Amino acid sequence: MGRSDEELVEACLSGEASAFDVLVARWEDKIRGAAIRILGSDEEARDVAQEAFLKAYRALPGFKREARFSSWLYQIAVNLCRDRLRRRRGRTVLSLEALEQTGLVLVSREPGAHELVQRLDLRRAVHRAIAGLSEEQREVLILKEYQGLTFLEIAQALEIPLSTVKTRLYRGLGQLRLLLEEDGIRGAASMPAGAPRGASAQ
Amino acid sequence: MQCSRVRDEALAAEKMDVLYGEADAGVRARVATHLGECPACREEMEVLQKVRRDLGAWTLDERREPVVVGQRRGLPRWLAAAVVVLAVGTGLALWGQVSLRREIETQRAHALERERVQREELAALRAEMARGPRGVDAAALLSGVDERLEERIRRSDQRQDRRLDESLAEWSARSEAQRRVDLARIAAGLSYLDGRHGQQLARTNELMGYVLDTAAEKGAPR
Repeated sequence: MGRSDEELVEACLSGEASAFDVLVARWEDKIRGAAIRILGSDEEARDVAQEAFLKAYRALPGFKREARFSSWLYQIAVNLCRDRLRRRRGRTVLSLEALEQTGLVLVSREPGAHELVQRLDLRRAVHRAIAGLSEEQREVLILKEYQGLTFLEIAQALEIPLSTVKTRLYRGLGQLRLLLEEDGIRGAASMPAGAPRGASAQ
Repeated sequence: MQCSRVRDEALAAEKMDVLYGEADAGVRARVATHLGECPACREEMEVLQKVRRDLGAWTLDERREPVVVGQRRGLPRWLAAAVVVLAVGTGLALWGQVSLRREIETQRAHALERERVQREELAALRAEMARGPRGVDAAALLSGVDERLEERIRRSDQRQDRRLDESLAEWSARSEAQRRVDLARIAAGLSYLDGRHGQQLARTNELMGYVLDTAAEKGAPR
């Protein structure tokens, strides 16, 4: 059984530099995966991940043990992503073309031609739908749906109240449902009357 | 139909807890009670589960370079791509040369073996004719046999030459096809250097791989 993140942080602070390498190896894929989805660029995501670990390493002495290390790391990475998105302002934030060029692929298990076409349609629709979310909704959705963070971890990572995480996600899913339906994805179905439309929870 | 609690954010939050399996028993019971009474929310939860399944189709390619903290990347990606392209091209060209040489040697060995067998047969026939009954013009007979055997050897040589030529032509065609594919690969690598995205390069390489396979199938010896 390996050491926990927090034990590795302690070891690192005690002078065991290699302990941080273990943390990098443990979290780099997840941090980079989140950044790819937020930024829509593998190249930028790689830079963000590298920068996030560097920043975390330098800030480690100031790390408060109130939150988990992973939440803190996500917080740094999401902030770096936000900086990059702000710098890009005026450009398309998450274009379909960019998404298709970032190695974002569908799971493949020898599909037939019909299934392949359906998956392609679904992939495009999912890309478009996620690109159509607000930045706040997209962050929450990605951290929850693709990074598997708990609501509490997301709240810590984004420094927002727990209830805000849940309502942003709820509204984001409602918006996704509409966008998928507009793209003719079966099962996105008719819009229940009570569902919200797009607005941010905050 | 609309849910009477459409603006109830507490209910929305509890539905998210249930949807993502983070609800405690109390929340689960409250949401279940509401869903039992509210067809709109029941339908909504079903649709949201479907949306989650759709989102599951979006996965990331695992083939990514590791992150190195505090260091610049060792080898630029464009240079690595160019090295790989050139290595693959050179390897394929060498493989083609080796295969061609091996094929020629095999053909030559077969021709030599046939010639040896025919010469042995000729020697045996000569010996038998020398022991033949009197009254037979052995010299004339042998002369006729010699001519026929020489003719057979000549035709055999021609056949061997023709086969060798055909084999060479076939391998030349394959080498040419291979060379074109290699050039296309290198062109794809160069287009990467011109700033095209890595994903496009991968797709081009995949397409070139398909072209290579097709060329190999068409050019394969029958």
